[in-house]
Order: sequence, then C-alpha cells, then structure tokens
Amino acid sequence: MPQSSSIAARSGSQVTDTFATLGRRQEIALVLSIFALIAFFSFTSDYFFTVRNLTNVLGQGSLVMIAGIGVAIVFMSGEVDISVGSLQAAVAIPLIEVMNATGNLWLGLAAALLLGLIVGVINGYLSAYVGINSLIVTLGMLFILRGGVYLYTGKTAIPDDAYLESFFVIGNERFLGVVPYPALIALILLLGFMYVMSHRPFGRKVYAVGGNAEVARLAGFPVKRVKFTCFIISSVMATISGILLASRLGSAVHLAGIGFEFQVVAAVVLGGVSLSGGVGSLLGMALGVLILAFMSNGLGMLDLPTEWQLVITGIIIIIAVAFDEMKRRRAG
Amino acid sequence: MPAEAATAAVAETAAPLPLEMTGIGKHFPGVIALDNVDLSLEAGKVHALMGENGAGKSTLIKILAGVYGKDTGTIRIAGRETSIASPGDALRQGIKVVFQEIALISEFTVAENIFLEQYPTGRSGSINWKKIRQDARALFERIGFDVDTNARTGALPISQQQMVEIARALAHEARIVVMDEPTSSLTPAEVALLFTVIRRLTALGIAVIYVSHKLDEVFEIADTVTVLRDGRHISTRPIGEHTHDTLIQDMIGRQIDDLFPRSRGQASGKVALSVKGVATEKLRDVTFDVYAGEVLGFFGLMGAGRTELAKAIVGFDPIDKGTIEIGGRPLHPHDTRTAVSLGIGLLTEDRKGEGLMLDLPVVYNLSLAALGSFARGGFIDETAEREAAQGYVDRFRIRTPSLFQEIKNLSGGNQQKVLLARWLLRGLSVIVVDEPTRGIDVGAKQEIFALIDQLAADGHAIVMMTSEMPELLGLSDRVMVMGEGRITGSFSRDEATQEKILNAAIV
Amino acid sequence: MVSEVSAPPKSASLVGALVGNNQIVLVAALVVICVGISLAVPQFYSSANIIAILRQVAMVLIVACGMTMLLITAEVDLSVGASLAFVGVVAMDVINVTDSVFLGALAGIAFGALVGLVNGLIVTRLKVNSLIATIGTMMILQGGVFLYSREAIQNHHHLPSFVDIGAGYVGPVPIPVIVAAVIFIASYVVLRHTTLGRYLFAVGANEKTARLSGLRTTWLKLFAFVLTGALVGVAGLILGSLMNAGQPTAGRGFELTVIAAVILGGTSLSGGRGTLIGTLLGVFVLKVIDDGIIVLQWNQDLQMIVPGVVLIAAIYLDILRRRADAR
Repeated sequence: MPQSSSIAARSGSQVTDTFATLGRRQEIALVLSIFALIAFFSFTSDYFFTVRNLTNVLGQGSLVMIAGIGVAIVFMSGEVDISVGSLQAAVAIPLIEVMNATGNLWLGLAAALLLGLIVGVINGYLSAYVGINSLIVTLGMLFILRGGVYLYTGKTAIPDDAYLESFFVIGNERFLGVVPYPALIALILLLGFMYVMSHRPFGRKVYAVGGNAEVARLAGFPVKRVKFTCFIISSVMATISGILLASRLGSAVHLAGIGFEFQVVAAVVLGGVSLSGGVGSLLGMALGVLILAFMSNGLGMLDLPTEWQLVITGIIIIIAVAFDEMKRRRAG
Repeated sequence: MPAEAATAAVAETAAPLPLEMTGIGKHFPGVIALDNVDLSLEAGKVHALMGENGAGKSTLIKILAGVYGKDTGTIRIAGRETSIASPGDALRQGIKVVFQEIALISEFTVAENIFLEQYPTGRSGSINWKKIRQDARALFERIGFDVDTNARTGALPISQQQMVEIARALAHEARIVVMDEPTSSLTPAEVALLFTVIRRLTALGIAVIYVSHKLDEVFEIADTVTVLRDGRHISTRPIGEHTHDTLIQDMIGRQIDDLFPRSRGQASGKVALSVKGVATEKLRDVTFDVYAGEVLGFFGLMGAGRTELAKAIVGFDPIDKGTIEIGGRPLHPHDTRTAVSLGIGLLTEDRKGEGLMLDLPVVYNLSLAALGSFARGGFIDETAEREAAQGYVDRFRIRTPSLFQEIKNLSGGNQQKVLLARWLLRGLSVIVVDEPTRGIDVGAKQEIFALIDQLAADGHAIVMMTSEMPELLGLSDRVMVMGEGRITGSFSRDEATQEKILNAAIV
Repeated sequence: MVSEVSAPPKSASLVGALVGNNQIVLVAALVVICVGISLAVPQFYSSANIIAILRQVAMVLIVACGMTMLLITAEVDLSVGASLAFVGVVAMDVINVTDSVFLGALAGIAFGALVGLVNGLIVTRLKVNSLIATIGTMMILQGGVFLYSREAIQNHHHLPSFVDIGAGYVGPVPIPVIVAAVIFIASYVVLRHTTLGRYLFAVGANEKTARLSGLRTTWLKLFAFVLTGALVGVAGLILGSLMNAGQPTAGRGFELTVIAAVILGGTSLSGGRGTLIGTLLGVFVLKVIDDGIIVLQWNQDLQMIVPGVVLIAAIYLDILRRRADAR
C-alpha cells in the first residue's frame, strides 16, 4: 500500500497543486491513523502484524473498496447511492444460476453484469434525467432488489453447483500465494479509477458537476449524462463486489450485503468525500476503507464482541464528518 | 493563432461585423423582457450596454450566451445567420460571457478552470496537465496579468476570478467578450487594471460588450453606447455624442427627482440605535447613532464591510468587541431573537438565500416574525393573521393573486415589499435595509423608495446599506462611508456629494 | 405544495388536473387497492383483518408523525429502526428489575428521546449532515443493543399490563390504534394550528430566514429530533409488548418503511413542505398493500418490492404534476 499511495499522491499533486495540499493533508492524517492503528494492534496481538494477517485485512477490505469506488464517484457528482448492498446480493443470483445451468463462468459473469447495468441505468435515469432525489431512488431500489432476492430464493441460499475452479479462485485464492485476488482486483480498479478521476476529462467533469452543476452546465458539460454514468459505474462496481462475495460464499445468499451500503458510505465519508459533491479523492476513500478494515480486524483479536466494530465505526463516522465540517467552516 | 487573426481582423476593415442582433424579442410568462431590440458590434471596439435593472440587459446577454433562446429576431455572427443553442454552442461560435456571478468551479485550480470546456489531451486521451499549466501562464502573460495558475480558484478575490474568465475567453479564441457588470465588486485599483486588460482585448481585435449602469466607467471605456429601457431599444450612439445628462435621460426616461419622493420632515432627536466600537473579523471600531425618523445611508465599495455590519448589528453574526443598544437597551451579540424583540431587523440583500421561504405562501412569509402576536397559548388566530397580511398587501400594493400564492411566483419588487411588511407587522423600530433595490425593476424601485421614506416619516429609524449612489444621495438624511471595515467618512445630506463620498470610500 | 395549509393550487393543464393533488392521488390509489383486493378476497373487509391493518398502521404512523416534522425541518433520522429495538430491550429490562410497567414505559420513551437528543445535538452542534449522523448512530445502536443483551429479554414477571400496551383493546379498538390516533391528532393540530408548527416549516424552508426573523432554529430542530425519538420510544414499547419481550433484532428496515411512507405522503426531503394527512395516507397505502399481499396469499417477499416501486412511482407522478403546474 505505501508505494501505491505515493504514486497517487504524486499524480494528485500534478492535478491540482494548491488545492491538493488541502486534500493531501487529510490523506496524510488518514495514513497516520492507519500507522497508529497498526502500531496499537501489533502491541495488543502478536498475530496482528504478520504478512498473513495484513493481507487478510486487505482481502476483507477489498469488497468495500470496490463498491466504495463507485459510491465515492456518485458522491463526488453530488448524488448518493445506497442500493449497493442489495445489488451485491442480487447479482449473485444470475451469476450462480447461469453458471449452474451452463457450466460457464463467463456467461455467469455476463449475466451478473447485465443485472448490474440494468440497475445502474434505472438508478441513473430516474435520478439524473427524471430528477427524483437519488436518496429516494436508491432507497426504493434497495427495497426492490432485496425483496426480489427473497422472492426468487425463497429466503435460502442458492449453492454453486458448477464448482468451477476459476470461480472459486477469484474470491478465495491468493495471487502468488500472498495477495488475495479480491485485493488485487480492488487495487487495479482503484488505480484505474484514480487515473480516470484525475487524468481523463470524464473524471474532471464529475468533480465539476458535483462542485457546481450550474457552472458545469454553462461550460457545456452534459450534467445529466455525467451523473447517469456515475450511477452506472457505481452499480458495476457493486456488481463486481457481489461476484467476489458470491465466490467467497460459494453460493447466492439472500442475506448477503445487508447493511453493506452503510459500511461503504462510512468508508467513503471517513475518506473525506463529502455528501455535497465536488470534493474528495478515491485515495482518501481507500484509506478510509483500510482504517475501518484494520479496526475491525484488530478489534476481532482483542476478544471484544464483534458488535463493538459497529459501534466504533458509527462513532468514527460522526467524528470524521464533524471534524471535516469544523475545518471547512474555519477555512471559510 | 489568435494574434494573427487579430491583426487580420484589424486590417480587414471591410470584414463583416462580428455580431449583429436584429429585432430580438423575448417574453416570459406575464413579462415582455425584450421587444424588438437591435445590437451590433465592431471588432476591436467596446460597446456599452446600459439600462436600469429590469431594462433587459441581462436577458439580451443571456440570449447571446445561449442560456435563453430568443422568441423573435435574427443573430448574425461574422455575417452568417446563426442560432445559439447552448452555452457551449456560444463558446464554439466565439462568444464568451463573463457573468456577474463568476462561472468557475471554485475547487479547481485556475489553470484547470481555463480549459474546462476543452481539456487538452494527449493521443491516449489523457489530460495533458503540463500543457494546461503552460498555456494558462502564457494566456495570462498575453493579457498582462499575473496570477498563481495553481491556486484554488475559490481562494482568489473576485477581481482575479474575472481575469481567469477573460483568460478563458482567449483560450477559446473568442471574438466577442461580454462583461456583465464587471466592476460591481471591484476596488478602484482593480477597475483600472480591468480596463487595461479590456484595452488589450480590443487591441487583439476582440469586440467587447460592456454591461453597466455606471456612467463614469462607460465614458472611460466605451466607444459606443446602446441604452435599453423596459425591454426596448432606446438609443445607440457613439459615446462622444452623449453627456451624463443625455445618458441618464435615456436610461431613466424621466427626471431623477421623481424617483425619490420626500414626505418626511426633520428627524426627532431620539436615538433609536446606538452602535459603539463594534469590531469583528471584518469590522474595526464601528461607532454611530441612528435617530428615530431618519434614513442613515451607508456607502462602501465591495468588501468595505457593509453587509458584515448589517449582520452584526441585527445579531445574526457574532461580534468580538463593542456594544449595540436599541432604544437604550443593550443587545446580546449573536442573538437574533432578542434583537427582533428589542425592535431591530434586517431586510437582507440576499432575498432568496436569507429572506424568502420560497415554497411557502405569501401570508406565511409576511407573518413569520410577528406570528406570536396572533397566537394565544401557541394557537394561531388565522383570521387575524390573514386580515393583517391583507392589510399590508393592500397598503403596499403587493401584486399577488392571493395570500396563498407561493412567494416564489411573485416578482422581485413584490417579494421585497412582502419582506418589508414582515418587519412592519412585527413593529420594529429600527430596520436595517441592505441593497433594498437589488434585482428590482424601475417601477417597483420607486415604490420601495417611497415606502422607505414613509417609514422614516412614521418615526422608524432606517439604516440603509447601498452601493448605488443615486439611491444613497436621494434617500439618506445622513451618509456614512465605509472602507476596509471602518467608517471613513460622515456627511450630512447637504454636504454629501458623489465626489466626497467616493474619496472617502477609497481607503 | 403545502396544500394542507394553503388554498388548493389551481391546476393549469389537463395533466395537472388529473394528478392535481398528491393526496387525491393517494386516496384514489388507496380506494383502487382496497377494491381490487376485496374483489379477489372478500374477507379483506373482515373486522379481524381491518384491525390487523390498523395495528400495523399504528406502529408506523406513530413514528411517521415525528419523522414528518423532522423532514419538514429539512433533517432526517435513519436511526429509528435501530432505536426501536433498543427501546424494547431497555423497557423490558427495567420492567424486570423494577416490576413496574410504568417505569419501564417511562424508561423506554426516555431512552428513545435521549437517542433523538443525541442525534439532534450531533446535527445542530457538530453540524454533521443528518443523513450521515444518523447512519452513525444507527450503527452505534445496532451494535450497542447486542452488547447490552445478546438475547431477547423476556417478560420475567409475566406482567399482563405490559402485554396490553400492544395487544389490548378498549372496546373493539386496539390500544395501539388509540395511541396512534391521539398522537396523530395532536401532531396535526401542532403542525397546522400552532406557532410551533409554523416555525418548523419556516426552519425547513429557509433556516437563515428563520433565524433572521428571531426564531430559535437550533432549538426547533432539536425539538423535532427529540420528538421523533420519543415517538420511537412509544412505538418500541408497542412492538416489545406485541412480542412480550425485548428483541434486539427487531426493527430492521423500520426506518425505511417510515421514511417511505412520509415521502409517499408528499413531504419533501429538502424541507419546508409536507403534510400529516399525506403521511397518514402514505402509511395506509403501504400497510394495506402489505396486508393485501398476505390475504391474497401472495409471496410475502413482495412486501419489500411493492413499497419500493410505489415510492418511486409516487415521486415520479409528483414531478410530472409539478412540471405540468409550472407550464
């Protein structure tokens, strides 16, 4: 992680120098918190600071990170998407069913992606083009997808009967025996989208649209289309995380991803991406994910009940946003 | 390329005019904003577009900017008939409008904002940030202005943000640059700099439309003046043919005295508001008294601290030092609740942001501050509320179809009257009015002036913050001038002249 | 459109006339749904079923009254579901310790109000966006309730009066329905006829205007949060009573049902607009559909899908209507 963050910091500095110093200060604070967490938990548990465990943490955080990319981009465009948890559960169904029926991983992936795209199109169309508040749209979608999953599965899990080796590998094995594949995929997607957000016109348009939609419109940006695209990215990212989750679970589980949207929002907000749009970075989001993942892993080793994680995550979110607000008010 | 194009354009005097607008008409529901208006530009010349608020200037330039479509008329650019479909389209056709509300993404750097519409990209489609920074610096060199192109745009003063917009025009090789009231928030030094930059633009052969209602500036910078009034074209003449008086005549269409009726006599000797040594981040040691029955006008350039003062003395913003007394009773700082109950309130300059409850009906907007007086045990006597509101609607001639019309559907002037009525219904003794006629058409302006005069005659103390010289001179009994957060001059009605006031305002 | 308090808006066009008023649409929808279900299943109108519907409506409506006011002030509370479970657990525990239903009920309501107060303070003092803040407290409560008690807390003393809160009757009317009716009427009167109600609208419509007009905006928002919290306390008691236990897993998704009902009723997420009549209708539409799915013996999982569709469709219609009005 350290080397990737320095790459990002450098590319970030080229993009928006003076502005980035503000953002970078936040990222530095996040990195410092991660070091502090690692130091603390290394002290409390001998097992914590081992390659095995640290890579485990990456694996655990990777699903949140992948979905977080999409949700962060939607946030940056000034909208919200809270349907990702339900979508994560929903895409597993076409994936597993098609694989079971055809024995072909690619067809299964295509089916999952198709569902993800449809959901993204609906969310994006209703939010960006019709103009319904995206919180309502994605809240409705959260209901609809979860209900659909229950309805289809009859509230049980659909097991993967195809037993495709490659499907098992993507969620459970490690690249070169060290890095879990989900973490690798998350890293690739993260770097890719960091590049898009700072080096492609599309990425800049997302920031512009979220920062000031009226100005973006005057500059001739297709505000609606940009937002629409963000919703599709978000759904596709959630789909990828859903595929990895299904691989890990070896089935389409009707309860998968309940509350996942809140974990994602927590990480995104902790990483400094504001609900009001136009600010924040994917690097910050990724650091937010890592903090929550280390926290969760370390607390797990402290023999504390797992619910402490929820409680502490909740407190962290509130404090992080409160600090952010205070900083912004002081800056004027 | 633009440099050569410029010389070419200057050389070819027979070239078609950069812009000809003929017979432009535009109406909005219930209003004819523009009626058969003509405007044509010459390359390398500054064409001033003048008129009072509501004259149609901003509608015309919004049509030019592609924000509104026109209903009738034709637009020719460089001799070719065309239509302007969108802001992006306007820019592609070489028209750059610098709006009063700067259209930049404040979180982006200066350099990035300049290339917002067209990021230079490499072969792979990646943004070429190096080129953006280099080109941005080069553009600023061309207009002769130095700014940190890596700075976050939102951190720059308005004057510099305007320069960013101008650089943006050059980046797009615009042939027509429209400046909408560019000096309304600039200091004199900044205005001078802006004029230098405008002259550089014209030297490049660019045609400039300069929208303003400030006479001195127009005489200084413009080659030609077109005056609009009530949506109609009044005159187009070389500036040399105009005097101050003829221009005013064209703009207002009547004598200026008509605008400011004066029914009141001498103010009483009773101090209604006493401000002593008030200091905040933006204000330094502000001290003054206001007497019942007078209008005390505050003048200052942008950033002088007028609005800050207004918000501090009505308890909206905190103060660091000093005391405020209403009718002899001390006001707790940063507490609007006791301020209102002591009898002081603010008629804000930002109607939408701080004054109106847009989605709520007229009557709710009107009765908000006085609701307690219509309530018994917390229950509102709605009949009494409506009667009182209707009383003000009649008295102020507020044009609304019903008390239950959502206030966002009223015109700016009528909205302002509702907000004024809100305070009168509450029975304030001191009313602080900040830019009372901003965004209000001429007819309603006159009504607002008459109301303010009437209020003073009735014994209210009025503190008026304004940047409009005629308003200040026409309405005030005394004038205070502010600069950099301090009071820099104080004049009686008889002493006050435009010259003295401006001298005091320039710190 | 504050049609509850303002005169009916004139509808300019045909579309505007057809879907002229959100509430008329809801009433029509309700009638169509009821008629449709009863054609298929006549026992839909049995008194047992109607009472079942009313009891369901009551739980949601109690909290929705508070949520309507909160949304009118332009804030939102997503922690109500998590708080609902916690209230039941706390109340049951206090009852078991003190052997007093009154003290238990008091503790439950006080706990709910305290959660509301904390939410309100985080939002008004720390200036945290209420959506994020209450996602935070939701997590804290969800985790906290399990740390407090891993299992359901049973009614150890088997106090019958606790069971009565949710399952009892006055004459033919279930007690929760009476409670909900009282709360609804009181809320309606407050919102419609008092200065407090009008001030809540003002704060939501434009907070700066409200403050410049001398209103205590922070206090008003706090009030809405605490009220919502306290009403969650009431609903939590009823839920606990119906289960005769404090169940830490109860209330999952309750926040979404409540918010869906309120928004369906025409209350705006951006503040300053909303009506309790609309909320009442919104709750009824959602709960009658819920009930219909059961009596029609459809798959109960449709109970999640239909509200989602109804919610989006309703907002869609509302947008169409507003566009028609604007023309």
